[in-house]
Amino acid sequence: MSFFSNMPIKRKLMAITMVTTAAALLSLGIGIVVADSSLFRGYLARDLSALTRIIADNSTAALAFDDRQSATETLSALRARPHIVAACIYRLDGTMFAEYARPGASAMCPSPGSGDGIRFTGADATVSRSVVLANRRIGTLALLYDLGEIRERRILYGETVLGFLLASSLLAFLLSSKMRSVIATPISQLARATASVSATRDYSIRAQKFSGDELGVLADGFNEMLAGIQSRDHELRSALLAREDALREARSSRDSLETTLASIGDAVISTDVEGRIVFANRVALSLLKWTEAEVAGRPLDEVFRIVNEFSRETVESPVTKVLREGSIVGMANHTVLLAKDGTETPIDDSGAPIRREGGPIQGTVLVFRDVTARRDAEETSRLLVSIVESSGDAIVGKNLNGIVTSWNKGAELIFGYSAMEMIGHPVSLLAAPDRLDEMPEILARIRRGERIDGYETVRRTKDGTRINVSLTISPVYDAVGRIVGASKIARDITGQVRAAARLAELNADLQRSNENLARSNEDLERFAFVASHDLQEPLRMIAVYSQLLVKSYPETDSQAAMFVSNIVGGTKRMRELLADLLAYAEIGARVEQPVEAVDLNAVMEIVRQNLKVAIDDSGAVISTADLPVVKAYSGHFISLFQNLIGNAIKYRSELPPVIRVSVEETGGHPRFAISDNGIGIEPEYHEKIFAAFKRLHGKKIPGTGIGLAICQRVVERYGGRIWVESDVGRGATFRFTLPDVSWSGVRSGVQSERKAE
Amino acid sequence: MKIRILVVEDNPADVMLLRWALETAELDFELTVIDDGGDALAFVQQRGEYADAVAPDLAILDLNLPRNDGLEILQAIRASQAFTDLTVAILSSSSSPRERAKIDAFRVGRYIAKPTDLNEFLKIGFIVKDLLEESGACRRAAAS
Repeated sequence: MSFFSNMPIKRKLMAITMVTTAAALLSLGIGIVVADSSLFRGYLARDLSALTRIIADNSTAALAFDDRQSATETLSALRARPHIVAACIYRLDGTMFAEYARPGASAMCPSPGSGDGIRFTGADATVSRSVVLANRRIGTLALLYDLGEIRERRILYGETVLGFLLASSLLAFLLSSKMRSVIATPISQLARATASVSATRDYSIRAQKFSGDELGVLADGFNEMLAGIQSRDHELRSALLAREDALREARSSRDSLETTLASIGDAVISTDVEGRIVFANRVALSLLKWTEAEVAGRPLDEVFRIVNEFSRETVESPVTKVLREGSIVGMANHTVLLAKDGTETPIDDSGAPIRREGGPIQGTVLVFRDVTARRDAEETSRLLVSIVESSGDAIVGKNLNGIVTSWNKGAELIFGYSAMEMIGHPVSLLAAPDRLDEMPEILARIRRGERIDGYETVRRTKDGTRINVSLTISPVYDAVGRIVGASKIARDITGQVRAAARLAELNADLQRSNENLARSNEDLERFAFVASHDLQEPLRMIAVYSQLLVKSYPETDSQAAMFVSNIVGGTKRMRELLADLLAYAEIGARVEQPVEAVDLNAVMEIVRQNLKVAIDDSGAVISTADLPVVKAYSGHFISLFQNLIGNAIKYRSELPPVIRVSVEETGGHPRFAISDNGIGIEPEYHEKIFAAFKRLHGKKIPGTGIGLAICQRVVERYGGRIWVESDVGRGATFRFTLPDVSWSGVRSGVQSERKAE
Repeated sequence: MKIRILVVEDNPADVMLLRWALETAELDFELTVIDDGGDALAFVQQRGEYADAVAPDLAILDLNLPRNDGLEILQAIRASQAFTDLTVAILSSSSSPRERAKIDAFRVGRYIAKPTDLNEFLKIGFIVKDLLEESGACRRAAAS
């Protein structure tokens, strides 16, 4: 069954056609055979009945006369009928009277029946007929008929039917081919169309209509359905496209909106209807010092804290007000935003409700901006105004036609005209009569964008006084850079001009005397240098040869030896003085000493070595702070520190000297202090001690009196000052500054001290 | 053979003291004394009357001299072929460090500041003797 149901329709049709045809032909054939058989039998019965009657009638006489011959002749007439196998005439007693047998066949006469009639037995029919004479039966005729004819007919019929069956099968096959085009083709077309639609989703495919029958209707219906689907699919597709377009448009407008919000200079925050932050742009986040992730969903008031600049009272956020009142809200002045880290920013802000075409509020948008720059500008502007107003110089604005546009108090004081009198009037009112042509020239230069600096000229005041002024005139530009006027600063230099002339004279005098002084100073220094150097040589000779004298004449008396010893002592002292004088002169000498980075800690180390004997002998304790590195000539600083520390040891009290060297920074420069616990210095000598060869003590304490003079010279050479803070019995502290020295700075707040061992 | 010593010194008193100091050190020496910077320069450059000058075993130079100073003479010694390896001692009253630095660039055996003390001066003989021994001048003198 399933085999049949899965069979293609054209086969099904062919099978149905052929089976139907075969069945019809078979039943027809069978019907014909059956009908023919019965009709034939009837015909045969009547035929045989008539035949037997004739023979029986013809045999009556023979039988009656017992003429066998005649009877046999009568019977032999049956030869004309080939299907009659045998015929016999029986007497009443049943004995054979005459007999006939078909040629070739042995006589097989049927036995005489009891009555007349025909009897069909299998392949034969037996006929019995009474021979009657004068209504009296005198014998019986029996005849055997061969029914082979019927069989032959049946075979003929069978062959005919088979032939028809074959012919009709051929016809059915041909018909089914035709049917295929009539039924199967439209259906398979339809099937193909369906498959194609379902595979390609192309709803424009249509099934071909072949006929007006049900298949045609089916194709129409299918096509209608496809058309319906197609139009719905089209609608759906265009709806989808429209939706995508709308989405894309929404997305792009959202993108552009976000880009806009992100890139505008103002801070923008939007909130939902409960005041929670939905969006904050970059400017907003940078002002608030919050990150995007932190603010999302947070109540605005937690993030956006604003106070009044002066009262410091919290100001209600515009969002709260917008949500309450449902309208746009501007902001009060002097609002300061407190950022997350406490940074304060002056801002302007405003809030507005977000609603869709008259609907309820869906949220708020808050816009604010940093107004620091504007406020600074306002402040600057106020400052500038007050500077202009308070200036003693005349500050005057004028346009390119020379008409005064602003006039400050300084201008009133210098020129005598009030602002009322000048503004709107030509500035040429102020020109001195002999200098009228200056002003057009100045205006021409301003138009070219030139600035005029320190232009000295003469102007006339309201009361006609001529005054000397120095003018500084600059072009004034508008916002697009065009020159629209000039700002003029005029200074009354009448006094200065007079003073300057006097000053120039004095300066010339001063320079002359300075030059003289410098020359004589230089001469003096050269003299000191040469003298101290060259004087050493003869002194050396005196000393050496005095000693040689004693050595060469050992017999000289002891007094002469003492004289020589005094000579040698005198020359030694003289040499010391000369050496000091030389050192002193060298410091002031114009000669360039090599300047290098000098570590004063290393200098102190050298000084300690140089003074080792004195330090050891006195038991001095020297503590030194961490000293800086200075750009200087090292020899100067060795002299400076060695003299000061040497003095501190030399002028000690009965206590072992405690000396402290320290440095501090004042005004970016180093200030050193060397303090001791020595005998101290009376205040009245605090200045004198720095003079060359000035001493406060006699021969008890050796010295030439040049040490502090050298110190002063060194310090002054580096632009500094040296002084002493001291009193008798209270030690002394020598301080000096070195403003002209570049230095490494105080290295640390805590001074690390290094005690002398 | 005596040790030949060139002395460039304008102060005869110092020459006399130096001679005494060298004798104190028991050196067998022969002094050539030039008291003028210009003449000294001519000597080491073998010019004029000094064309035949021969390099001594040692030169003792003062720095402050008439005409040409000791530094110029020292430069000329190091620049000349015949004198370039000459052992030089400086005997000067000047002791400025700057001057020292300049002189040290020209291979100086000793730098001696003229002493004020007689005994110190006499020690110069021994200093010179040490220097001669270091430079091998004594051995050369002995060998020749």
